[in-house]
Amino acid sequence: MIRKKAIEILANEIGDQPIISSNGFMSRDLFESYEKKSNFYMLGSMGLASSIGLGIALKKQKQKIHVFDGDGNILMNLGSLVTISSLKPKNFIHFIFDNQSHESTGGQPTNSSKIQLEKIAEGMGLKTFKISTQNQIKKIISKIKNMDGPILIIVKISNSKYRSSRVDIDPPNIKNRFMESLKK
Amino acid sequence: MNEKSQRKIFNLLVKKGVENFVGVPDSTMKHFIDEGLKKGKILISTREEEAIGIATGMTLSGGKSLVFMQNAGFANSLSTITSLVQLYQIPMILLIGWRGFLKNDAPEHTKIGEVQPKLIKTIGLTTKIIDEKNFTKICDWAVKQLEKKKFVGLIIKREDID
Repeated sequence: MIRKKAIEILANEIGDQPIISSNGFMSRDLFESYEKKSNFYMLGSMGLASSIGLGIALKKQKQKIHVFDGDGNILMNLGSLVTISSLKPKNFIHFIFDNQSHESTGGQPTNSSKIQLEKIAEGMGLKTFKISTQNQIKKIISKIKNMDGPILIIVKISNSKYRSSRVDIDPPNIKNRFMESLKK
Repeated sequence: MNEKSQRKIFNLLVKKGVENFVGVPDSTMKHFIDEGLKKGKILISTREEEAIGIATGMTLSGGKSLVFMQNAGFANSLSTITSLVQLYQIPMILLIGWRGFLKNDAPEHTKIGEVQPKLIKTIGLTTKIIDEKNFTKICDWAVKQLEKKKFVGLIIKREDID
């Protein structure tokens, strides 16, 4: 399963709820699959999607906050998992799309293939799941529906030659419409 | 800066509506941080960029945010400042401890202490130095900037050697 397919299925299941997507192809795939005002496309600041999501989750406790992260991104900010698991926001759902590579910069390998990210997450006390098929995505969404977070779901994906288009919304506009959507 | 002023600054900012205090500790502002910890209003992150990310999320949720760090952490955060805070125009106060302000500070601080003013100028960050005499006025200014949706820095000089 390629990232775009996984994102399409997940974004449809998540519907109008907020998503913070990491930089590079992640945000581009989400933009092309399910554009909406409650998507915060993080275009720069690699590694920080989970931190931005955590900040929102702590302040908007009645809304479920979803983060679409990559393996390269989380490895760059592993400390984020420490902060998330120490604060335990119940409304925080963290997806890590793991293709064991930096696909956005040309497919160079990350070291996620050499470690067991799920064991790190479990060791921190996060509710951790690992999935790899379209069927499992649908199942996991119904499984976690009434489950308290923080939840971490590793979605194994494969690389693809397909390239989604760039996010063509001005960053201050991405911010403004996202902030408006949170008020609802 | 003395202990009393640091504690007053924290309480003044809270009174003026700053809700979120996120950062990595710095001894130059240890009493400021201690006051916040006592009040249960401080979130300590693992790295400074992470603190900026969390504070960005909190600001997106509608609150006023301050991120505190030593200037070493400011140097760590340059890319996050340019590609997140400045790119999206996120209102935020950055409180930076100026190590290496004194020429005879510990060796690891001297270079960053020397280049800090140039770095701040180069990235186009508006800052003011906050001290024991001007803090009421400076806190006023900083919160007004937040209300105007600006990103600003407050600098505390390290004026003693321990």
